Amino acid sequence: MFKTIRSKVIITAIVTLTFLMCAFACHTVISRMKTKQLMVQNYVYSLNSFADDIRNQIIRSEDNLKGLALTGGLFYKTYRNQELADKVIVKIFENYPETLGGGIWFKPYVFDKSKKYVCFYAFHNKDNEVVIDRSFESEEYDYPNQGWYKQIISNVTPENNIVWSEPYYENQGSYTLMVTAGSGIYVDGELVGIVTVDWEIDSIMDNISKMKPIERTFSLYKSGKKIRNSFALLGNTNYDYIISTTDPYLESDKLVGHSLREIPWYANNLYERTYITYHNKKYVPFVKKMNNGMELIICIPKSEMFKDIDRFYLCIVLVMLFLGLIIPMLLYVSMNNYIVKPIDKLIDIACKIGRGEDIQIKIEKPEEFAQLASTFDLMTKDIKSITRERARINSELAVAKSIQAASLPGVFPPFPERTEFDIFASMDAAKKVGGDFYDFFFINENEFMFLIADVSGKGVPAALFMMKVKTLINNLSQIGYSPKQLMREVNAKVCETNKQGLFVTMLACIIDLSTGKMTLINCGHNPPLLKRKNKPYEFLKLSPNFPLGIFDDMDFELFETIMEPGDSIYTYTDGVTEATNASDETYGEAKLSDCLNKIEETNPSTVIQGVKDSVLQFTDSASQSDDITMLVFKYLGPHNNIKTFKQEAKIENYKEFCMWLHKACSEWNISNEMTNKLDMCGEEIFANIAFYAYPEKKGNIEVELKNLNGNLIFEFKDDGMEYNPLEKPDPDINLPPEERPIGGLGIFMVKQIADKVSYKRENNKNILTLIFNI
Amino acid sequence: MDVIIKSNGLNALYVQAAGRLDLDSAVDYGTKVKDTIEDSDITITEVILDFSQITFISSFGLKIVLELYKFMKERNGVLKLRGVSESLMNSFRMVGFNKFLVFE
Repeated sequence: MFKTIRSKVIITAIVTLTFLMCAFACHTVISRMKTKQLMVQNYVYSLNSFADDIRNQIIRSEDNLKGLALTGGLFYKTYRNQELADKVIVKIFENYPETLGGGIWFKPYVFDKSKKYVCFYAFHNKDNEVVIDRSFESEEYDYPNQGWYKQIISNVTPENNIVWSEPYYENQGSYTLMVTAGSGIYVDGELVGIVTVDWEIDSIMDNISKMKPIERTFSLYKSGKKIRNSFALLGNTNYDYIISTTDPYLESDKLVGHSLREIPWYANNLYERTYITYHNKKYVPFVKKMNNGMELIICIPKSEMFKDIDRFYLCIVLVMLFLGLIIPMLLYVSMNNYIVKPIDKLIDIACKIGRGEDIQIKIEKPEEFAQLASTFDLMTKDIKSITRERARINSELAVAKSIQAASLPGVFPPFPERTEFDIFASMDAAKKVGGDFYDFFFINENEFMFLIADVSGKGVPAALFMMKVKTLINNLSQIGYSPKQLMREVNAKVCETNKQGLFVTMLACIIDLSTGKMTLINCGHNPPLLKRKNKPYEFLKLSPNFPLGIFDDMDFELFETIMEPGDSIYTYTDGVTEATNASDETYGEAKLSDCLNKIEETNPSTVIQGVKDSVLQFTDSASQSDDITMLVFKYLGPHNNIKTFKQEAKIENYKEFCMWLHKACSEWNISNEMTNKLDMCGEEIFANIAFYAYPEKKGNIEVELKNLNGNLIFEFKDDGMEYNPLEKPDPDINLPPEERPIGGLGIFMVKQIADKVSYKRENNKNILTLIFNI
Repeated sequence: MDVIIKSNGLNALYVQAAGRLDLDSAVDYGTKVKDTIEDSDITITEVILDFSQITFISSFGLKIVLELYKFMKERNGVLKLRGVSESLMNSFRMVGFNKFLVFE
């Protein structure tokens, strides 16, 4: 499954993309971290400047307070004018809009010995106008007994002239939470009163809540949006109380004035934390101490703080994931279209072409495949022409095979008129044409030669060489050489024309059919098996000679034996003994001899079929690796179907001729009637030759009687004057006896008795042949 | 071949032979019969050839029989054959002798 190009490309793409995405993810994580760090830093800067603003505001307030104290001193020392003082106060607070109000409070009886309460108080009314409130100069209020007054007056010193009061509820009607900063009025080193400025705490916190710096920070991404759930806390650590908080989980009103430690997250080591967990939410705290002991703590929910940046990176990750999915898909689709489909098409077409269909391949895109397709087309054409060529070669090989087969004697029995022997041979070529061959022929009337041979190599070269060697032997054998000479000549001739270094192993036998004397020559061939009548087959280990075609000048050692009637010899090529089965075992000589001895019949064709069957059974399904050739010769005894008579052609020898004829007839168990016929004809022709063939000289008469295939062939030869007795006209047997000539009856009778009579003149001999059907 | 020629004391000869009547024996056979007839004091008018013991007759044998037939005819005599076996008869028929020879 992972072996196709498709899967490999996709896997490669996925791996590459995974790497890229990992790299990108690393980059994203790092850059996100860095961005967050930068953002946090930015927050810190912003908060610092915000805190600085608040501090400056406090400083300004304190400065103003100092200024108010100086004004108070000035009132005490110089003006003592109620109206003017009111105007100054109003002016001051008109320039001081963030305050609720403030005033100058003198100690009882200090400003005016007659008046216990002297104070100038102005405040911003609902219409934001500064008005003077005189209601505090009363017994009812008795400001010297108010907590804030006491706290301030008792705490101020010339060195530390600013005091911030605890927050308190202004109970003069508004019940707003307030804080008051106060300062002492020193005149000539003596404390004569105090000045106060009141703030509504809520207004301070409103300012804080507006969180300008945070908004600015976020304005990088979006402007004008307040961060949800962020809160701030303003406390005074000098007194350990909460001035205000915007904590959404706490009721601010109830906490103000309480200890800072009552706020859970504050108590929990706020300063050591990079973030705090509060109500299952992470907050990033910023702490800034003010110079007047106040502490500004702003907690921003982490999620909110980095919400936009997280959203931004989430977008990027989603885009990357989307691309990571889309790109392999696109890759898959495009590869399918441009690579896999053309390949599939090529495969399909290749299959069809393989089945022999005639198809032209048409692929236009992509260019590489178009090129491949045209190359494929060319290749198909080439293959077609090669296939045609191969088919031609195959048919030629088949013809060659039939020619080769025809060149080996294949008709059995090959010499039906010869009763001296029985022979059978077979060759099964492993390839179309083989290098094995056998042959047999008469060297002369009496000597019969048979041979079996194996040319080194296989196929066409071996077959051609085999044909040459076979023809050579056949031709040379007719010249009349002795066996030794014959082999010498054959070998010399084979060497002469052998440039390819081929050689032939051969076993040749020449047998004198009349005596059974057999000469064997083994030229490096497998040993034959000789079977004596009524005895088992035995290997005939002959003195080995070199194969033919190796050394051109060589004498061959011969082996001679006498074949008795009934003896037979089994010859073969190594295709038999080296036949191999599926488990690579060879048939071998032992099996061969066993097999032969199991065959009860000695008839050559039966023997060969028996061995063939045994070899086939042995090799089973394994293919035949070498030619299998066998030849079996069985000697039946000297021929007894030809009787010859040769004597001087004179009438005195007739008696002898007669005895010869009768002996032959009785030997062959010829019927009396037939014997009479032979007798009658024989006498006539014998007499003819004796009387007339040699008028002036002596000459011989040769008679041959052959018993052949149900025919008796009676042949008379003489080398006397040419005379064809058949030309003599037949006598008229219907003539009255007186008119009939005495002569001329004989040849007429011969014609009547014999089934066929023929005459020929050959080599200056009259040959008269009579054929009788038995 | 032994040829036994017997005379009945009158004018008839009885010729008996055994074996083959062929190139080797026929001339001798014929000569003996003819000589006997010619040498006889009495005119021989009938010759009986006993073939019952003749096993084979060749063309020469037949030729001699024809000669004897003609010889007797010249002397107004008769030639008779006796005891001719069937195989010999075939030979006679072959050459047409059966048409004029007298078989007993």
